[in-house]
Amino acid sequence: MKLFNRRVAISGLAAVAGFGALATTVQAQEYPTRNITMIVPFAAGGPTDVIARIVAADMSKTLGQQIIIENVVGAGGTTGATRAARAANDGYTIITGHMGTHAAAVPLYPKLAYHPEKDFEPVALLAGTPILILARKDFAPKDLKEFVTYVKANSDKLNMAHAGVGSVSYSSCELLSSVLDIKPTGVPFNGTGPAMNALVGGQVDYMCDQIVNAVPQIKGGTIKAYAIATPDRNPSLPDVPTTTEAGLPKYQASAWNAIFAPKGTPAAITAKLNAAAAKALDDENVKKRLLDLGSDIPKPEARTQAALGELVKSEVAKWSAVLKPAM
Amino acid sequence: MGDLFSNLGLGFSTVFQFVQWAPPFLGGLSIPIPINILLCLIGALVGTLVGVLPGIGTIATVAMLLPITFGLPPVGALIMLAGIYYGAQYGGSTTSILVNIPGEAGSVVTALDGFQMAKQGRAGPALAIAAIGSFFAGCVATVLIAVLGAPLTKLALAFGPAEYFSLMVLGLIFAVVLAKGSVLKAIAMIVFGLLLSMVGSDIETGASRMSFNIPELADGLGFATVAMGLFGFAEIIRNLDAGGEEDRDLVQQKVTGLMPTKKDLKDSAPAILRGTVLGSILGILPGGGAVIASFAAYTLEKKLSKHPQRFGRGAIEGVAAPESANNAAAQTSFIPLLTLGIPPNAVMALMVGAMTIHGIVPGPQVMQKQPELVWGMIASMWIGNLMLLVINLPLVGIWVRLLRVPYRLMFPSIVVFCSIGIYSVNNAPMDVVLAGVFGLLGYWLIKHDFEPAPLLLGMVLGPLMEENLRRALLISRGDATVFFTRPLSASLMAISAFLLVLALLPALRKKRDEVFVESES
Amino acid sequence: MSDAPSHAPEKSILPSWVKGPQDFIGGIALMAIAAFALWASSDLQGMHGFSFGAGTAPRMFGILLLALGAAVTVVGVLTEGPRLAVYAWRGPLFVSLAILCFALCIRPMGMVFSAMASFLIAALGTAETQWKETIIVGACLTAFCALLFPYALGLPLQMWPTFLIR
Repeated sequence: MKLFNRRVAISGLAAVAGFGALATTVQAQEYPTRNITMIVPFAAGGPTDVIARIVAADMSKTLGQQIIIENVVGAGGTTGATRAARAANDGYTIITGHMGTHAAAVPLYPKLAYHPEKDFEPVALLAGTPILILARKDFAPKDLKEFVTYVKANSDKLNMAHAGVGSVSYSSCELLSSVLDIKPTGVPFNGTGPAMNALVGGQVDYMCDQIVNAVPQIKGGTIKAYAIATPDRNPSLPDVPTTTEAGLPKYQASAWNAIFAPKGTPAAITAKLNAAAAKALDDENVKKRLLDLGSDIPKPEARTQAALGELVKSEVAKWSAVLKPAM
Repeated sequence: MGDLFSNLGLGFSTVFQFVQWAPPFLGGLSIPIPINILLCLIGALVGTLVGVLPGIGTIATVAMLLPITFGLPPVGALIMLAGIYYGAQYGGSTTSILVNIPGEAGSVVTALDGFQMAKQGRAGPALAIAAIGSFFAGCVATVLIAVLGAPLTKLALAFGPAEYFSLMVLGLIFAVVLAKGSVLKAIAMIVFGLLLSMVGSDIETGASRMSFNIPELADGLGFATVAMGLFGFAEIIRNLDAGGEEDRDLVQQKVTGLMPTKKDLKDSAPAILRGTVLGSILGILPGGGAVIASFAAYTLEKKLSKHPQRFGRGAIEGVAAPESANNAAAQTSFIPLLTLGIPPNAVMALMVGAMTIHGIVPGPQVMQKQPELVWGMIASMWIGNLMLLVINLPLVGIWVRLLRVPYRLMFPSIVVFCSIGIYSVNNAPMDVVLAGVFGLLGYWLIKHDFEPAPLLLGMVLGPLMEENLRRALLISRGDATVFFTRPLSASLMAISAFLLVLALLPALRKKRDEVFVESES
Repeated sequence: MSDAPSHAPEKSILPSWVKGPQDFIGGIALMAIAAFALWASSDLQGMHGFSFGAGTAPRMFGILLLALGAAVTVVGVLTEGPRLAVYAWRGPLFVSLAILCFALCIRPMGMVFSAMASFLIAALGTAETQWKETIIVGACLTAFCALLFPYALGLPLQMWPTFLIR
């Protein structure tokens, strides 16, 4: 026992000594010298998490240091975003936020502990997941034009599903209602899965949701899609027209995902991260995996930090106009 | 039928796939390796070992181990993940039985009689019967998925908000029956649980309810947090009370036999059978079916038993039935995932995440497009269950020996593991503090003879019940008769009413029962 | 919880017409919890038209718990029941401190420190603790956790105190 005890003590000492040596060399070298923590404010396996993991794996190779994903779940992603906003601005804590956490949260959560523009440095726009207008398979309207007339005429009889206040699905549903100027009965579900289940089962009439969740159901014919709310058609659903083609150009929505760093993170560091992210998006393997998900890879001009800053600004304004503050 | 066999054949050939392995040190010699079986075995083993740590529940285990599978080929990864899932579940049951810390809603019920058995020195038989029951249930459910997967999907789709609400009402009635003491106090605990489940943001309006601006409360109290507090921490604190020593020494010295006796097997066989049937049916329902499975099975056994007063005091049927139901439900909950691509619960949502990371988007066509994946997974479920039996029967001896660790060393270890486990779910220190608060609350509840199990079940069912009630009323525009006019919902309501009468009858005859208990013990 | 008496005097402080003190106090405490919940959810919106408001369900359950607590209290008055149980202070205090210590230390101080410290604090909870043995087991457990969680399982847990890393 005694021998063992001494061995533990010695190895402990050695570890501490080794660590001290490491700590002093750290400051001298260039970023990054240790693992980077990337907060993903959603559950592992969700659309944002999957995109963040695919991109982060490639960025780790470029940067020569591991990017560790930390899922901090809660309150529509704002719990994780709050933690990221308060983290040290040394470049070792970054966050992959999305349309919700870094735009729609502003009107949705009046007591939000951070502001997407004031408390974060924009780093890099990653892939976005386009929004679709979906309906149960036996819903009467044949195309988007008929859908618009039908929904406007029957809005008091129809049930619109969404995945809970604060979700992307909720925000995009509200956007649709405001574009159509209707007030349908919104039936809340606890997440996208149950909402999709209800739509497939015909318990609700229509909903708006991210492409990732919907593609297999559309291809399987269990639900139908009226339009995709992006400027271009999506390669995974070539037959679904864009809202512009189908006659509702005002409805544009995509759940964009982007990396942010806490305010005050040195520009040299954010630039390095931006370059690594851009390189990841150009990697053939990464590209293929993202496209398989149905996501939308930003064009080079949209990938700059300045462009992301502009995007956040315009999105905050857009969602603030659409979403009335919840209580 | 021919289809079924060719499909299962495809599945098993996928699982038994051999990969030629030619390590350099063998000089060009290559050995065939059954890679998928190995992955399944490793998954089940690692899942069991992590799941058995107190404080780390099924979801946490699967979430923790998920990244390990990222580097594997898709089929192998999913087979390994299925192994992890079963392993985690069984590991969780082991902790419930040994130290009374349930890792998920289903094992709350296992803990009731399992821990009592452990206290009586019968941890070995309890663990063994859990493994045997799970294996049997797993085998039946695997065949069920293969034969009836597609038609059963219709049941999942027929369940709308009204049906779910009625199912949750039924679930609450089950929770009453769980109680071994006063029915009035059990009902009070359920309502307390329902009230606690209201904390967090309202999904319809987003308003924050009773969360006092604490960000960690914004999404409500986590099941793991409350369960670790009420069961884990409270149990520890109570054991540290003066006079607790004798009680504990009893546990450590009285270990009799590791394997179930003939009588145990005879008692459990019908319970396992009924548990399997109930679990298989309820598991198909997404969003709450599987939660109810284990305590529905327990309730059924208690009601059918000639000696219901034995339940809660170490009845082996009280372990066999919920464990079988739990495992059967775990299995059949893959049905909506495989046939619809819709994850019915949090663990399945993680599975979907794993699939998407591997570039497989689960949906209605996965069965046609990637049959080797679907059938390989179904076949690996059976293999996974076999692995569990193979791994766990020998491990029973080791687990039981763990009980001999002096309590003065065991309890600080449990405190540390629980803290790490709770923290790692959300990486939130506040959750650990909350679990501590619930530990004190649990201690107080014990002192006043309130049972924590009904409270926990009320907490799990509360949100499902409220949400579905509101959804149903929104869709019907306020017409409350939907619960009685839709046939499925109406029959569930009828069963609830029937059970309620049954539950209240013994309460009226309570005096007589109590005399009975006294004379027996 | 802390509002319950921490010791049971030989002579009950409760009036003699209370036959079952355990249920009596238990019921009153449940009523207090219910009243607190009702107060906490009083600012929430109630029913509007046919649909539930955010506050409807909490209020419903709050009132129900109030009624049930009252019923338990009445049972405590009317039927013979056990007296108040004795509360220990040492176990609850040190286990709570250990948990609190872990929660406060895990982010700034890392896992190695937090696990070891909370193990030792928890060990204070019983008089049976033998320190030499406890420290050895605590160190082994800490080493095991340090190897298992961040390394073997790859969890995003920090190992060492932040000030050592920066």
